[in-house]
Amino acid sequence: MQPKVCLVLFSFGNFNRAWTQILRNLGIDYTLCIATSGGTSASIQTPQGVFAANSADLRGYFRQFNAVILCDNTGDLAATSVNSYSVFWMSWNDPEDPAFLFFNPHFSAALGGAYNSNFPSDFPIVRPNPSDIAGTLYPADGGSATSVDPLIQTATRARGMCVLFLAENIRAHVQTICNTHTNRIPYYWRLDTAKHSALVSAAYTHRVARNGRAGEILAVPAPPISDEDTETYPSDCVIAYRYRNCFWLPHAMARTQRAVNLWDAEVSPFVFWLLYGLQLAGVRPRYRLPVQIETSRPLEALEASFNPPYSLREQCDFLLASWDWMRDFARRKGTAIIGGVTTGGRDRSASSRQHWGILYNTSYPAEAREAAMRVHQILVAGHREGTTPCGPHDYTIGGGDGLWGSAVSAGYIRHAGRQRGTPNDVPIARGRCCVAPHVLPTGVAGADAQTVQVGDTEMVEWDFTGRTSGTGTTFDLPMDNIHAARMIIEGHIDEMLALGFPDGYCAGHRYTNTAANNSGGECYWQALKEFGFRGVRSSSNCTGINIKRVPPNRIWQGFHLVGDEAVDNCSSGAVFSRGLYLPSAPSGGDAVKRFLLDHGSDISANWATGQVAAWRAYRRLLCQTTSIWLHGTVVELSSAYFHPNQSLMCVSLANPIAPFEGWSRLGPYGTPHYNHAVELLENMDAVVRLLPDVLYWGTITDVMDHRERVIG
Amino acid sequence: MPLTPTLIGHFSQGDAQAVSRQNRLPVDATAPDTLLVATTTVDTTANRDLLESTATELPTLDGCMQYRKLVWFYFRAGAAETTYRVLARATDHNGAPLGAGWITLATGTLPGEANTWGRIEIPATTDGYYDQYRIEVWRTAGNNYTLTSKIVGVR
Repeated sequence: MQPKVCLVLFSFGNFNRAWTQILRNLGIDYTLCIATSGGTSASIQTPQGVFAANSADLRGYFRQFNAVILCDNTGDLAATSVNSYSVFWMSWNDPEDPAFLFFNPHFSAALGGAYNSNFPSDFPIVRPNPSDIAGTLYPADGGSATSVDPLIQTATRARGMCVLFLAENIRAHVQTICNTHTNRIPYYWRLDTAKHSALVSAAYTHRVARNGRAGEILAVPAPPISDEDTETYPSDCVIAYRYRNCFWLPHAMARTQRAVNLWDAEVSPFVFWLLYGLQLAGVRPRYRLPVQIETSRPLEALEASFNPPYSLREQCDFLLASWDWMRDFARRKGTAIIGGVTTGGRDRSASSRQHWGILYNTSYPAEAREAAMRVHQILVAGHREGTTPCGPHDYTIGGGDGLWGSAVSAGYIRHAGRQRGTPNDVPIARGRCCVAPHVLPTGVAGADAQTVQVGDTEMVEWDFTGRTSGTGTTFDLPMDNIHAARMIIEGHIDEMLALGFPDGYCAGHRYTNTAANNSGGECYWQALKEFGFRGVRSSSNCTGINIKRVPPNRIWQGFHLVGDEAVDNCSSGAVFSRGLYLPSAPSGGDAVKRFLLDHGSDISANWATGQVAAWRAYRRLLCQTTSIWLHGTVVELSSAYFHPNQSLMCVSLANPIAPFEGWSRLGPYGTPHYNHAVELLENMDAVVRLLPDVLYWGTITDVMDHRERVIG
Repeated sequence: MPLTPTLIGHFSQGDAQAVSRQNRLPVDATAPDTLLVATTTVDTTANRDLLESTATELPTLDGCMQYRKLVWFYFRAGAAETTYRVLARATDHNGAPLGAGWITLATGTLPGEANTWGRIEIPATTDGYYDQYRIEVWRTAGNNYTLTSKIVGVR
């Protein structure tokens, strides 16, 4: 039987298309039904007719689905009509009835009339009361207010939660808001323990009742693991609950008009709960989605001019420990952590931010270069075994913006040897004349004519006078043509081989992530294909000078242009992370500033006096970056990435890969140690283990394979 | 019939057919392609495109040479008077624009009231076959509103 779900919504004018994008990516069939109002008298418009919300006809219609999903929600507990029509479905509990998934359901005491009279009397979660919030809900995540509606947030302002999933016995940091109100405070639910006990005692048969009981607590706030963390919740606080065949789950999707345009989508940070709900409802997707992550610049070190807290040697030391851990993680999980190696260091810039430079530039201390070599050897060995495949990533061209980063790459220094290196005199710009071969008259083309092909277009080009490299090493390289692209890529491959990698495109994945996410446009995609690449990571505006766009489906002539989702714990402008929070850090220089996580100053105002503030920042950062990564995985089929050196600068050198332990283990600046690689990957692993029907640890090849499967 | 030497064949009426210039793959080359689906908050920022970019040289759509015409469907949630511009240009075979700037194919006031649909053909007359298009919208009165667009390419 093919998986099939029914989505019920009130209006396409407030419909987030990520709902359906995820289902398409999972291969789950769906039907959209529209409620004619938010009240109990609403009718549900289905493809097979319009049925009253409480009708036997609707109940019969629903029985063809594995699950019915209620899409509407509100951030106003006083609202009197949002999804009241769904109250009848809470009593449709026969084995033939589908599972009902209620995400951030509006069941407040403000709803009266027919909603009240039809609400099951044995339902065990206390109905929120806008006049008595303190008595009916528990404030979550410190109880502070988000500055704007927390339900419609995208890639910033995360709320931090660590959730304990009881049946699975797994703790995971996932963004969680059960309900919220106009005060913009996130809340968890309060359990009526007497009713819950009665439900747990009652036998119940339905395919989704895995314990054979009418009630089941699915998830609660995870208890703290440190005395420093004083953010605790009462024992009757719940996050997710199964009432018979109805799943009461936290917020999953913003109720707002949001297109998943064919390049990118705004981050939907609560999608975990949709995936978890689908799994609870027994909706087995046709496809599981591969989870993988990339790094840009796996080996670099910041010189003293950037004012990092650690020396070159120390930076290489924490990279060594972290890469050793990441390689082991990849081995254990069967994933491959892609690394975009900064190329160009051999021929153009031997700074310590270049892979080649930190290895071989003799102006750097020998001890630093030795430590860097150990990191490099892990990467090469991991490349060979498939755990840390590496490809080129070049900031030394295009004015620092990579492929076609500028109209002309001034002072370009090319590689030596091979077809396009010194001393060969080769074209570096389009010929003066280009004519398609099938309309080229005989005898017109000049003696230096050559055939060039970019995609489906084949041209005969000639008259390269003033458009060749000469025999020298250095020249201004126009970046807008296939000749430049081939020269650049050939140099990249040559440098990768010289570094000891057996190939220059992430081994069998035939992929790399591009510097500044600039993939350069058609002429570069063509050149990359010629050198064996299957795809690269790319922003939608794929040149540094903003004159090109990737194709709508991000696949050009079979070549993948995988989307980009950065999950660093600092902004690129801040160069490196000062940790979870540092009052003196520049804008974007710590995690809290980067992602606007200081809700109501409940971190900054308590940092020096309340140890819990660090735990709060830790939770919010993990929730934020995990949700961005998960969104990229399930909505966009894109790629998340971080910069190890920048994101890991806040670790303790005594044990760089130690888990976060609050103020018990300090990193630089006297603030808590935090290893972004360890924490983020471990947390995503918890998510993957929670969702075995939906996710698996895979590789970029799996991502590209799946893109071809569902996008084409 | 036996397959003649070729890389590609297909079955038709229970028989294997070799693909050649005279016997092409039975694909529907006229089916339109969805090129863009986007939600735009229309504000007063002049020359802002459907993807909310103000980089004036950045196309909204690229690689469109195969399309004779684009059809822009939209649903506007607000009635605020809105100016739109449709710009286009050609690139060389490397994908590089032949020059800076754009040809203006259309400009004017975006038709429709609040909660109404619209449809604009690009170009309005003749054929397109441009490589790049930039489609800009900005309001000149009233309040911000949401514009949901879909653009399809017609061969």
